[in-house]
Amino acid sequence: MNVRNCCRVILAGAAILWGLAANAQQVTIKMWMHEHPPRIAIDKAIVSAFEQANPDIKVDYAVLAVSEFTTKLLTAFASGSGPDLFNQSVVQVAQYYNSRVLAPIDYAAMGFADEQALTGNYLTGFDGIRFAGKLYGVPTEVSNYACYLNNTIWKAAGLDPSRDFPKTWEEMPALAEKLTLRDPNGVPRRRGFDFDWPSLPAYWLTLNTMMRQRGANLFDEANYKATFEGPEAEHVLQYLVDWVNKYKLGGPQYTDTRTDFLAGNLATDCSFGIWGIPQMHDAKIDYTVKPLPHFADGKHDNGYDAYAYYMMVNARSSPAVQKAAWKLARFYTDHAVELFTGAGLFVPRQDVLQKTGDPDSQVFLTELKKAAFAPRVVGYNQIVDILARGRDAMMQGGQPIATVLPQMNDDMNAVLKREKARAEAMLK
Amino acid sequence: MRRFNRHWWGLIFVLPVVIYFAVFSIFPVLFGFALSLTDYDLLDPPNWVGLDNFQALLSDRLFLTALGNTLVFVAGATVPVWLASLLAALLFDQAFRSRNVLKTLFFLPVLPPVVVVAVVWRMLLHPNGVMTWLAGSWRGVTEIDWLSNTVLAPLSMIAVHDWAAIPFFMLIWLAGIAGIPPELRDAAHIDGATPLRTFWHIDLPLLRSTAVLVAALSTINAFQTFTLQYVLSPDPGGPANSTLVLGLLVLKYGFQYFRMGDAAAISVVMFAMILTVTAAQLWFNRRAG
Repeated sequence: MNVRNCCRVILAGAAILWGLAANAQQVTIKMWMHEHPPRIAIDKAIVSAFEQANPDIKVDYAVLAVSEFTTKLLTAFASGSGPDLFNQSVVQVAQYYNSRVLAPIDYAAMGFADEQALTGNYLTGFDGIRFAGKLYGVPTEVSNYACYLNNTIWKAAGLDPSRDFPKTWEEMPALAEKLTLRDPNGVPRRRGFDFDWPSLPAYWLTLNTMMRQRGANLFDEANYKATFEGPEAEHVLQYLVDWVNKYKLGGPQYTDTRTDFLAGNLATDCSFGIWGIPQMHDAKIDYTVKPLPHFADGKHDNGYDAYAYYMMVNARSSPAVQKAAWKLARFYTDHAVELFTGAGLFVPRQDVLQKTGDPDSQVFLTELKKAAFAPRVVGYNQIVDILARGRDAMMQGGQPIATVLPQMNDDMNAVLKREKARAEAMLK
Repeated sequence: MRRFNRHWWGLIFVLPVVIYFAVFSIFPVLFGFALSLTDYDLLDPPNWVGLDNFQALLSDRLFLTALGNTLVFVAGATVPVWLASLLAALLFDQAFRSRNVLKTLFFLPVLPPVVVVAVVWRMLLHPNGVMTWLAGSWRGVTEIDWLSNTVLAPLSMIAVHDWAAIPFFMLIWLAGIAGIPPELRDAAHIDGATPLRTFWHIDLPLLRSTAVLVAALSTINAFQTFTLQYVLSPDPGGPANSTLVLGLLVLKYGFQYFRMGDAAAISVVMFAMILTVTAAQLWFNRRAG
């Protein structure tokens, strides 16, 4: 072997070693997002930009159907093949925290000096992901509902949407009646206003919002205790039962309110967030946005509870992957303006807030400042199911509140007691 | 040597099926039973809890409700089906004009899958749908909550099930009736027996094995009901758990509440119940024979 060949062999060997070393250093992040069609193209562009800016990090991006997202996430965690970075709703985070799936935020990896450097840029949004004083995720969407009025229907009924929307729940039945069209048998053919009964998350938010308005809560989160009891709970349930059975203004047997409102079959709906504005434009609905009514003798004038989606990191991923995942989380959430303008995902960051100067958006922001976060309980799926079954028993089964309410509270406490025992066993 | 070879060849031919059943039937059953003795929730490693899950079922309101609903459904999906399908079979056993055309039309509900049946009936049972028009228009009723009323919803499920099941079991009865030697009926007729006495003393005893088959199949089928309650109801199991059956509860516990241990325990209970009922029916048949 001459000198030239010898050099070639050495260079080739060095190249192979360098390649192997580079490959060994490359980190792959498995990122799972739920399906939200307007967001996917933006996601892909962000991921691509991130990979270009960080050649040592590869992102394995996947979109999962909303209906399967929660189950697939859990089964993936169970089999040890869960994502390193994932986006999930606030109502599901308690069980991940309970099972030690969530990694606390790595501020250094995200490029922040401390918590204040991150949260200082946001109006609100972190309360839903704070456990025992630590943050475990970054919001990718923060939302709250307000009431959308179909101006055309309101005006046809002789009402002024800007002036006649009631401030209290007590005035609501009379107003809804004016907007309701009934057949000769009294059955509503077009509802004036109705709660979004078929949507369990909406029902969850409605109950807790009304409880807070009356100065109570559905849960004592810290102590794993259901507190859906007493005169305040009875008052809220009586109002809802009367809505269905006394005033016959709607009920769980009707189509979901969003679909009906966008189809022009419902005069008023309070189950859209700020993200509903483009949907109103698409459906060519002339609308007005109003804050949620409250109880005349209520203790707080809060609107709907806020809810959020968070970007979280799997605590079971390797430290290097976790760091890379937090870096991507920062990169992703820094594109909040694009996600808002392109996919309607609102996050109350300073840069996004500058895009929300219109009066309709201001209604949501004013309500958001007063809103508390939706309760975070372990076993959410079972608990919301208990509430829904109780709702049906009262409204469709005609059972008295005095019977159903304690039963619901007991059933929820049984679930929470079990989950608390599991959490304590995990700590041991 | 030849016998030895034949023996091994036989085993080799049977082996794929044995492996298939071992992997896809026996292993899942055993694994399900093992799972029922744990508190597995998908997120955390399973812990051994012994028979705790079974003990907890005794005071589990949801389980007891589902058990009650399942028994009501089984009652509604068996006895009326046996009687109606037998009556239909006796009717179609008679010679009359257009019998075959009518028999074919009567059999049509059996052909589509249960999911399709459920989807079609969900439309028919809409509060303002065709069934409301048929049942309510003559008395001025424009809305009936067939599927969202706690009393009507379980009855609607039974009615739809029976509508699809009766023609199927009619066919089994017809096959049984066809196997009765006509000389016996002729002899009874010559002896002056009325059609009712002939049916009671000749047809029915000879249809015993068919009756056991109908009873066993319909009972197992009814205990395992799931699709109707899942697809037909706008809120699976609802309203107010009035259509929550054990099959649906397994799904809820497993993939909605993520309580795999409890879901497996309910499956084991269902398995035991079906086994007991079927064994009792077979024992009764043998004893009567």
